[in-house]
Amino acid sequence: MSGSPTQPAVTSVRRADAGEGSGSVELRSISKSFGGVTVVKELDLSVRPGEFLSLLGPSGCGKTTTLRMLAGFEQPDSGEVLISGAAVQHLPPHKRDVNTVFQSYALFPHMSVAANIAYGLRQRRGIDRAEIRSRVSEALDMVQMTRFADRRPSRLSGGQQQRVALARALVNRPSVLLLDEPLGALDRKLREDMQVELKLLQSRLGTTFIFVTHDQEEALSMSDRVAVMLDGRIEQIADPYTVYERPATAFVAGFIGQQNFLPGTPADGGRAIEIDGGTIHPGEPVTTPGPVRVAVRPEAVRVAETPPAEPANALPGTVAAVSLLGDVLQYVVHADAGHELLARVPRRQAGRLAEGARVWCSWAPADVHVFPAEATPRDSTRDSTRDPIGSAK
Amino acid sequence: MTSAHRGPRTAWRAAPAGLLATPALAWIALFFVAPVGLVFWYSLGRKPGLYQTHANDVLTLDRYREALGDTFMTSFAGTLRIGLAGTALCLAIGLPFAYWLAVKVRPHRRFVVLALVLVPFWTNFLIRTIGWQVVLSPEGFASRALQSLGVTDAPFSMLFTRGAVLLGVVYNYLPMMILPLYVALDRIDGSLREASKDLGANRWRTMAQVTLPLARPGIAAGLLLVFIPLMGDYVTAAVLGGARGTMVGQLVASQFQQAQNWALGSAMAVVLILVIAVTILATALAGAVCTWLLTRRRRSELAGLAEGSPA
Repeated sequence: MSGSPTQPAVTSVRRADAGEGSGSVELRSISKSFGGVTVVKELDLSVRPGEFLSLLGPSGCGKTTTLRMLAGFEQPDSGEVLISGAAVQHLPPHKRDVNTVFQSYALFPHMSVAANIAYGLRQRRGIDRAEIRSRVSEALDMVQMTRFADRRPSRLSGGQQQRVALARALVNRPSVLLLDEPLGALDRKLREDMQVELKLLQSRLGTTFIFVTHDQEEALSMSDRVAVMLDGRIEQIADPYTVYERPATAFVAGFIGQQNFLPGTPADGGRAIEIDGGTIHPGEPVTTPGPVRVAVRPEAVRVAETPPAEPANALPGTVAAVSLLGDVLQYVVHADAGHELLARVPRRQAGRLAEGARVWCSWAPADVHVFPAEATPRDSTRDSTRDPIGSAK
Repeated sequence: MTSAHRGPRTAWRAAPAGLLATPALAWIALFFVAPVGLVFWYSLGRKPGLYQTHANDVLTLDRYREALGDTFMTSFAGTLRIGLAGTALCLAIGLPFAYWLAVKVRPHRRFVVLALVLVPFWTNFLIRTIGWQVVLSPEGFASRALQSLGVTDAPFSMLFTRGAVLLGVVYNYLPMMILPLYVALDRIDGSLREASKDLGANRWRTMAQVTLPLARPGIAAGLLLVFIPLMGDYVTAAVLGGARGTMVGQLVASQFQQAQNWALGSAMAVVLILVIAVTILATALAGAVCTWLLTRRRRSELAGLAEGSPA
């Protein structure tokens, strides 16, 4: 798990024919339904060659179906799939220049690790034995599995199987690599190591990676761009920073990281929002008419025993719970007006406040995001792995 | 570290692991090993007189010489032919069906189809076979249908032909082939087939390189479940094959019943057991050799990669 940055084998695995448009992916108005239920709705997506793109969303959002339509396991009901500029929606999987890393790895149990990796090369014409051997050897080297070459997959750990699955796909030098939640079965530490390795591998190879995940941290840490999906549509597609800092919809705001949502009504021509127990000033005037939802990230919320100098964007309340999440302290504050606020403070910065302490929660206008009220963020979008005390409503 | 006091629970755990198999082992010893041993013992004896079935006062291999006579060998060859052809036909018909059932049929409908496969078992084996007599007789349904279609103009009998025996055999034994094949195919993760196609193999290569190799245990079980009882079956052959359908099982039974010659009947039974065993071993060996030959290239190509030897 060293993930050493320089490996001689990699250079020759790099795609030699990285010509114009090779490795690009385009979905044009793709729709797919199963038994009357529409899973993907007129989805458009454009992926640049060599890009690391994540499809992120809750289960049932259509991300895996989208990936399966790229691989050729599902046919879209309508729309076009273009890979490296050519329409492929009618081609079967074995004629597409893509390879898949499956969630279950799908290694052939009756073949050795080396034979698994050689499988794709054997299906092609015009590759002689010596080349198969040298490419398998390179691929084994690339994922540091050389000494397990003769083992059966059943005798490997989950992380090792994952590497073999990766090597088996990459040895074919596909234009596009599709990854269907490949890290989902690994324990947390291993998953974080693999995230780093995958990212390094991708930037060395220059292969387009399309990565399906429901884990927002994973998507943010690895991707060049993240496409957040909901109900068969892309809610927002942007680089991780933008998705996190400037969520386009309330759903994206709630799904990526955590949010405090406060219902309110715009006032003063959009320069203020009235909420229960106070007034919130947004960074930019609100143009939305009617009721709104104000979103504030827990890490933007300051907690202090004294009222802030500026009275705006502050709510008094009582500390209901304190928990230590590694390097940050998380407070759950019951505001006097009834809101429950989540605040995250770097552990070293602030002295620890006890439960029951009277506090003021405050945040800067720039940290305020405003969304129309009717879009309801889902409860399931809370990041449960980071939140040992449960979520604040 | 050993525990100081052992409760009844630990005592139970310390019991030999074979304990659970004891009832089955006892049953097999009493009702299988002992009778087969007895048959083998009788086969070394003789029929001493008209009213006695067997005697072992003189041990001899003469019964085997008698058993391997012309009549026996003829029907033996016929039995083996029916056994091999019937098993092969069951595999040829059962494999596509089991694949369809395990892969193509929607999960909630599989149960219904499986139940339909088992429906024939609800009727007695003999009655089902005799039912075919009605269908295949010159005045039967099959003949009339062929006549009305203009295939033949005279009444036509399939009854008492080798074809009729084969038909009855496949009809009676097909479920025994389908069930283990279905179980084996159903257990293969669908993502393995997808992975194979993803890596560039079309559906036939996927079948040859992934599906069939992984279904091998089921194929072996199906072959055994059909071939072994089929070699000993004589009811199907007697009912549908008449005089031409004489199977070894029939000869053995007639030695025990009509001829009252247990010694000769036993010798025939032992020969039958040996032939079945040899056929199975030969098939298994042929399968292993084929696999070895087919994967030889693959193995030689990738040999020694783990040691990091240069290509």
